[in-house]
Amino acid sequence: MNNGTEDTGVRDLMLRSLDRIVEEEAENAAQAADGKPGFPADLWAALEEAGMTALGEENDGDLGLGNAAALIERAAYHTVPVPLAETILARRLLAKAGIEIPDGSLSVAPPSATRDGKAAGVPWARSVAGVVVATGSDGLALIDAREAASPGFNMAGEPRDIVDLSRAKAIASGKLAGAANVVEAEGALIRAVQMSGAMSRVLDHGLTWANDRVQFGRPIARFQAIQHLMAELAAEAAAGSASALMAVEAVAERGDRLAAAIAKARAGEAAGRVCAIAHEVFGAMGFTQEHTLHYATRRLWSWRNEFGSEVHWQAEIGRAIAAGGADNLWATLTAHG
Amino acid sequence: MPEFRFEPVQMPPAATKLRAEVRAFLDEEKAKGTFTPTVGAMVAADPSFSARLGARGYLGMTWPKEYGGHERSALERYVVVEELLAAGSPVMAHWIADRQSGPQILKHGAERVKKMILPEIAAGRCFFAIGMSEPDTGSDLASVKTRAVPVEGGFRVTGRKVWTSYAHMAHYVIALVRTGGRPEDRHVGLTQLIIDMKSPGIEVRPIINVYGSHEFNEVTFDDVFVPEDMSVGGIGNGWAMVTSELAFERSGPDRFMSTYPLLVEAFREIGDNPNASEAAELGRLVAHLATLRRMSTSIAGMLNDGKSPVTEAALVKDLGTTFEQSIPEITRRLLPLEPRGGGNGQVYDDLQQLAQMQAPCYSIRGGTREILRGMIARGLGLR
Repeated sequence: MNNGTEDTGVRDLMLRSLDRIVEEEAENAAQAADGKPGFPADLWAALEEAGMTALGEENDGDLGLGNAAALIERAAYHTVPVPLAETILARRLLAKAGIEIPDGSLSVAPPSATRDGKAAGVPWARSVAGVVVATGSDGLALIDAREAASPGFNMAGEPRDIVDLSRAKAIASGKLAGAANVVEAEGALIRAVQMSGAMSRVLDHGLTWANDRVQFGRPIARFQAIQHLMAELAAEAAAGSASALMAVEAVAERGDRLAAAIAKARAGEAAGRVCAIAHEVFGAMGFTQEHTLHYATRRLWSWRNEFGSEVHWQAEIGRAIAAGGADNLWATLTAHG
Repeated sequence: MPEFRFEPVQMPPAATKLRAEVRAFLDEEKAKGTFTPTVGAMVAADPSFSARLGARGYLGMTWPKEYGGHERSALERYVVVEELLAAGSPVMAHWIADRQSGPQILKHGAERVKKMILPEIAAGRCFFAIGMSEPDTGSDLASVKTRAVPVEGGFRVTGRKVWTSYAHMAHYVIALVRTGGRPEDRHVGLTQLIIDMKSPGIEVRPIINVYGSHEFNEVTFDDVFVPEDMSVGGIGNGWAMVTSELAFERSGPDRFMSTYPLLVEAFREIGDNPNASEAAELGRLVAHLATLRRMSTSIAGMLNDGKSPVTEAALVKDLGTTFEQSIPEITRRLLPLEPRGGGNGQVYDDLQQLAQMQAPCYSIRGGTREILRGMIARGLGLR
């Protein structure tokens, strides 16, 4: 197990450093950025200076996918409103296609939302230095879409723009076998990792709330109905997180597409239940703009749709196993230990 | 804040070879017709099958050689166990003895008892039942009334146990009894005793379950003598023994693979070109199964490292039993429900109906879902 767990010393330092930056630079950053056209340049600069934005393209060594994923997960926990996950994803894809990686923030166009010369749902297209786009069956292109982007947002108020590809500037291109499929699976993996972080945040929010909120003369945590809801929330969050962690290792070791599919399907399903339970436990208080719960739950609702919903990936898994034959299911599940 | 991480385990190199050996053995057994794969993980029992597993070194795998064990790692045992379950093989006769009674005796038993019992379990010749529940004691385990009175050289036990699975096949039962105090004293004064089922004064009465099978029993003890050294963990330590025992048996593959053979048959019935909803429904189940297996192997790794992942184990059992219960509910939406009366669909039809009737027990045995959620809540700091 080289990549999932390498050098936890480096990783811990990096995560602590991220916590510190978020505290100093990004207090209320999620609120400030929510649905706004700007780019949190100071926060990005702080992350860049700390060496956190130039990760992901190495498949081994101490800055491999395992560490990049740990950073993405923690950033999602903090609901950091910058394209950190997208930049790391783009760098991985560019490296695969042998395209020189530019400095600065990057993004990736979701293949299933690209048609008729338009790429929809492109994270941060208006702000980033380059967007990775799958072209044809085996091509990958890097474009500057800043002048070609019409702004839009996902449910969490994160920029998701529509890019008129005919107006974007080409920067570079390269070959990548099955490009659209690779982009889709790598994107699904990154979103699953982000969901793991955000679900962990929702769990923390819920536990604090249940222990603090007093009704009928005692904290609501003392009520069995609340305890059972929170137990289910914790179990779903743990399953989503385990599936994402498993996929990070499997993709780093052997580019295991099935593992990425499993993670997006399982974490996405968990996210739905986690959000529903959290809002139930919080009552009206969690349903307001003032409370911070929704910065995590709205991201979960968005991320479970992006780079393929649960149903999309469940169907791919089902077709793959069916094609292999019923009697090979167990061999597939146990193929890697 | 509590956070549950299910880190990867590295299966030992010997595990791959072992897995292939177990598969070859199971294929041979199936070819000989010694068993028909069934759902239930722990309902089909065949003492001769258990003895063949013992002869191959698949029981008592992690125990010291001096007690008949094979000194293999917990992860190697995990591989054997999950292969047996995936094949739907009849493992119930030895299951309790190998999974929990043997390990308990190894850790907390008297030397004479270890030498007498453990090699027999490892050989697949000695089976155990668990005597925890009573007519008035279910989830509230600390309320047991069965009493053990000290006498010269041991105890005299009187009381009644129920839902005692496979007591009719077992050589011993490990019973939770009261050696001191009254039922109101709760956890104080409880002891686990290993009781020889051949002892005078024991009566076993079958309790037939909802699908007509004899698994449960009611076991009555009328002044049954138990030698002094047949306790597990000493007198008055019963509660600690029971809780640690339950924690260790909650995270294994038997907590999510009960209906796995039905999932395989559903894939076979649907064929290699599923439609969109069939593909998504079955793919969803595979995603759940792969994730549960990851969580379960991760816990096996934690246990191997001497950790005590009690809350994690409860999480896996809650998720796992929900998953195995969901399989017949989902396959019934995808495939015909009317019995087809023989032919190609018969294996699926039979498994579907059996799984349907068995499913309620998955989230009851080994601690109900509600008890587990209470434990998880405690682990989360909510109670």
